[in-house]
Amino acid sequence: MTTTHAGHRPGSSGRHVSAREAPARGVTRLVPAATQALIAAGVVAVLALWWSDTPSVIGLGGWLTGAGRITGLLAGYAIVVLIALMARVPALERGVGADRLARWHAMGGRYTVGLAVAHTLLIIWGYAVTARTNVAHETASLVLTYPDMLKATVAVLLLVGVGAVSARAVRARVRYETWFYLHFYTYLAAALAFGHQLSDGEQFVGDRTAQLAWYGLYGVVAALVLWYRFITPVARAFRHRLRVTHVVPEAPGVVSVYLTGRHLGELRAEAGQFFRWRFLTRDLWWAANPYSLSAVPASHELRITVKDLGDQSRSLGRLRPGVRVAAEGPYGAFTARRATRRQVLLIAGGVGITPIRALFETVPGEVTLLYRASRPQDVVFQRELAAIAARRGAALHYLIGPRAQVGEPFTAEVLTSLVPGLRDHDVYLCGPAGMTGTAVAALRRAGVPRRHIHHESFEF
Amino acid sequence: MRRAIFAVLVTAAGLMLLLSFKPHEVASAERPPAAVSGSTAGSTAGSTAGSTAQDAGGTGSSGESAGSSGDGARTVTGDAVDTRWGPVQVRITLSGSRITAVDAIVVPDSNGRDREINSFAVPVLTQEALAAQSAQIDTVSGATYTSQGYAGSLQSALDKAGL
Repeated sequence: MTTTHAGHRPGSSGRHVSAREAPARGVTRLVPAATQALIAAGVVAVLALWWSDTPSVIGLGGWLTGAGRITGLLAGYAIVVLIALMARVPALERGVGADRLARWHAMGGRYTVGLAVAHTLLIIWGYAVTARTNVAHETASLVLTYPDMLKATVAVLLLVGVGAVSARAVRARVRYETWFYLHFYTYLAAALAFGHQLSDGEQFVGDRTAQLAWYGLYGVVAALVLWYRFITPVARAFRHRLRVTHVVPEAPGVVSVYLTGRHLGELRAEAGQFFRWRFLTRDLWWAANPYSLSAVPASHELRITVKDLGDQSRSLGRLRPGVRVAAEGPYGAFTARRATRRQVLLIAGGVGITPIRALFETVPGEVTLLYRASRPQDVVFQRELAAIAARRGAALHYLIGPRAQVGEPFTAEVLTSLVPGLRDHDVYLCGPAGMTGTAVAALRRAGVPRRHIHHESFEF
Repeated sequence: MRRAIFAVLVTAAGLMLLLSFKPHEVASAERPPAAVSGSTAGSTAGSTAGSTAQDAGGTGSSGESAGSSGDGARTVTGDAVDTRWGPVQVRITLSGSRITAVDAIVVPDSNGRDREINSFAVPVLTQEALAAQSAQIDTVSGATYTSQGYAGSLQSALDKAGL
């Protein structure tokens, strides 16, 4: 079933919100590239440190130890980069986007665990070869007699453990909260591994400059984490004193939570962004979950809409008015700033409608919304969307029904026929990863340039 | 999965490339590092060697300490040569102009790896020195700094002995 409302029913009761003019749109595009360049420059610096410090590589022991040192230096560098990416630095959250940061972090995380394991094995083997002893003896000697090596051993085991829990197969079977909190052990691992880098690392022993640079790197990242992940959220909670005002069921398993608080304008939240919400009830206070704003943030009210996906989102339906809320954010670069063209296509899949709903109201230009759901009862905000469409003169298409019945809705042909002039649109996509992937491929085939496709995946 | 394999291959190739650009020859110790005076000898090979090093430092800034025993043998202590991991100092025993013994009285031992390396490197260096009867000895692989320090201190001892 495909239903279409195209800009009729004027004079609806939608609340008027002026779309904030997006400043410096072009600049945000540079942030991901600049971030990657900065990370790469650090890699080069780390390799240069090894290069300038290593006179020669002699024999099998020399090769193994050399490879062990390089992987170790890189692992020591990579772990702070991973932590920095997740430090909730506003420039990164807005400029790169939380979902992209999370993808980089996941990719980099696996790689870093690999580097740490390779470093461990190569150093043991290399030292054993050089010292003409066997691997077991060398392992014992390394762990027990070298300074700070017991701590480093614990650190590498922690990293492997966190890496194992994050692996796709295991990740699906643990709760979001378990997985999330296990990640805090990486802070512990980084701290435990720090000592052995300076006291045993060939590149640091006796090299004051390298030591200071390493202290600086770890110190800055620790300060960022402390400031943005701990101090700022607590300060914000006291400043804004967010509370739940009411909870409204929208569809089976989907609820909207309305919140109010003080000085909400200072948050400078934009449509399309999300916060990490911590509901301060007895069972929920310890977990902070990311949910998008499902309405344009107002000076006195915020709204999120949540689908029953995890343990926490199930309990949200039972929230009582008055419950205090601590929110970290706003996060996300999925905002009107990304658009550079006059025509904008929004594509929502399932509960991915939440940020799209807010953008539908604020993105400047000629807007078309495609809303995909597999069952009619899963559709939310029907009345609001119709009202916005009417007021803005925007096109609104519903693509509803199981794929077996309606066919694949996201093909280049379907999209081109639904959206005239598709290739000249900026496209915003939000939905399950599978749908997003299919839709991006279809858009690319239909001729939309990659830099004009903006998507945010809900799977963290 | 394909990306993981790619990452592993690229990393391994990068490591091999980086390592391959470094020299792989055992550097000969013909250019010993600058000698330091014996009194700066900080870390010592052991308690007995430690006291010897102090004595060596006490006898003069050049670190010369020559003695002789009844059978015409004499000992000469070389300068302490500073290396990256700490000073190296040797004492040679001469019978006429022939080196009959070399004792490393100060070697780096600030950590387990130093001790481990020196435990195999020093005997090899001593053998080489006795065989060569000079400071023209090969570097022991894995113990580049100790080898250089050893050769440097040995050369200074030979110089002092007038050989």
